[in-house]
Amino acid sequence: MNIEVQKLRFAYKAQAEILKDISFCLTSPCFLSIAGPNGAGKTTLLNLLSGLLKPASGSIEIDSKPINSYSVRQLAKKIAVVRQEFVPVFEFSAAQIVSMARTPYLGALAFETDADREAIAESLEMTDTARFADRPLGHLSGGERQRIFIARALAQQTPILLLDEPTSFLDMKHQVGIYDLLKKMQIEKQKTIVSVTHDINLAAQYSDMTLLLSADGGYNFGPTREILTTERIESVFGVRTFSAQTGQTRFFFPLGRFTKNHSS
Amino acid sequence: MTDLLTPRRLISKIALCVAALAVVMFVCSLVGTQKISLSAVFAGPGNTPGQNTDYDIFVRVRIPRIILAALVGAALAASGVALQAILRNPLAEPYILGISSGAALGVMTAAIAGVSWSFLDGSPMAAMAFLFAIGTVWLVWFTGHLAGGSTVTSLLLAGVVINAFFSAVIMLMTSLIDSEQLRSTIMWLMGSIGEKDFTTLLVSAVFIIVGITALFTISQKLNVLAFGAGEARSLGVNPRKITLVAFALASFITAVAVGLSGLVGFVGLVVPHSVRLVFGPDHRQLLPTSALLGAAFVVICDTIARTIIAPAQLPVGVITAIIGGPVFLILLSRYSKKVGALR
Repeated sequence: MNIEVQKLRFAYKAQAEILKDISFCLTSPCFLSIAGPNGAGKTTLLNLLSGLLKPASGSIEIDSKPINSYSVRQLAKKIAVVRQEFVPVFEFSAAQIVSMARTPYLGALAFETDADREAIAESLEMTDTARFADRPLGHLSGGERQRIFIARALAQQTPILLLDEPTSFLDMKHQVGIYDLLKKMQIEKQKTIVSVTHDINLAAQYSDMTLLLSADGGYNFGPTREILTTERIESVFGVRTFSAQTGQTRFFFPLGRFTKNHSS
Repeated sequence: MTDLLTPRRLISKIALCVAALAVVMFVCSLVGTQKISLSAVFAGPGNTPGQNTDYDIFVRVRIPRIILAALVGAALAASGVALQAILRNPLAEPYILGISSGAALGVMTAAIAGVSWSFLDGSPMAAMAFLFAIGTVWLVWFTGHLAGGSTVTSLLLAGVVINAFFSAVIMLMTSLIDSEQLRSTIMWLMGSIGEKDFTTLLVSAVFIIVGITALFTISQKLNVLAFGAGEARSLGVNPRKITLVAFALASFITAVAVGLSGLVGFVGLVVPHSVRLVFGPDHRQLLPTSALLGAAFVVICDTIARTIIAPAQLPVGVITAIIGGPVFLILLSRYSKKVGALR
């Protein structure tokens, strides 16, 4: 399952171009992090990849076929999306929300088959959410809600998983828990994971490839270790960092002007 | 995993609601200003017309009226369910979206212009109500889109504004018509269930049942649509298509109901909300059970309306509004708190 993006351009109505000539190619299984400062177009790019937005020019191909040649239903069998947290007005239970992942697979009568139920139960198990599956979403904590939406994306059984800041409301333990789970999906189920994140350290730790978007429309794409360097982070984010390495991973810590005991 | 809907569970819930509706219809058919003995009814019509008055009242007056009330209730409740799902707003209802005043305007236009052509049941009023109700839904939909894309608030706001405008035009027209027409028009505006002939009932029943069945076939997609257009798309549902289909079906069955009974408000609000509290929000279950219990609700309201100030009759819309108004206000305050807490 490949994703190929060619000379992608996008602008919101009557605004400056937010994405300029972006090209990259992913071969599955792969873990891509899309990082960059606020307003660099990370979520916009995710919405383009999920088919929600149409590019001004350029092309996106999923499995060597243009994304707009897929029907909505076909595309939902290829790509699952986890967006930023959202609580629906009606009090659906967590299990009901996860069960909606099966919509593209349902027959005319729209009732879940045993295979559907198995997929739902399995993804509840994997995300450790089966305990509160019967509770309404509004009664859950932010972290539990986020895991429910990830469970839904897994139950959709797609080769591609797109996530928009999947851990922004979570504590450290759940951040690592979610990323461990995503990595496991990549390794065990050969999925391609594309995750938008603010956190370059999560990107550094988990992703094979990184797409670093700048606020001026430029970008850097490549293996995470090559893309994430102190120099590049300073030029893209406008902040100096201290970097340290443990094992194979290099981590970055932003340095403020009042950082203690740091000569500048 | 215990609470996922299965066809078996759905059928048992529907059977329960059908039984409840049957009991309500049976009991209400015995209630009225004229005492009726069932054994007299079963004795048959007799050899000459008018020989058995119990039979005549029961079969020619009570039964058609109860069927009519049930049809109106089913249509309005199902339409409320669909509109709430599309607009992602538990307060949406055919009444609030301006369909009521649109239909009312149609009736007033017919009354003033003295339109003589007919449709469905031979009454130009019902035909005009039908046309104007459909027109209003599309006007609300269209202006809502012009005002702010497909956002929920812009649609509701468009409904409220169009409602206000039509109400003003209705006031203007009311001052123009003569007093004899005035009384019947106002009774109609308040929502009244009267006698209709068999053909009208049959045609309306077919329209309403087909409309509700069609809505049922997209009910799982309505579940997904409750999460917003973007989410629906990534779950394999084309939000634009389903919204258009659901809007068209909801406005169609509402217009049939308005053509039958005038303005019966709040049924589409009270019934789906109560059903959701008991059976949960899954639209595959919410839609059929709301339709059946909405039918029972309006049958009860109409029975109250025709007996409470006997021998005179109240418009049924008065009863539904007296029950529905407070429910709307409670929902409004609860829902506003909930929305406020999420922001």
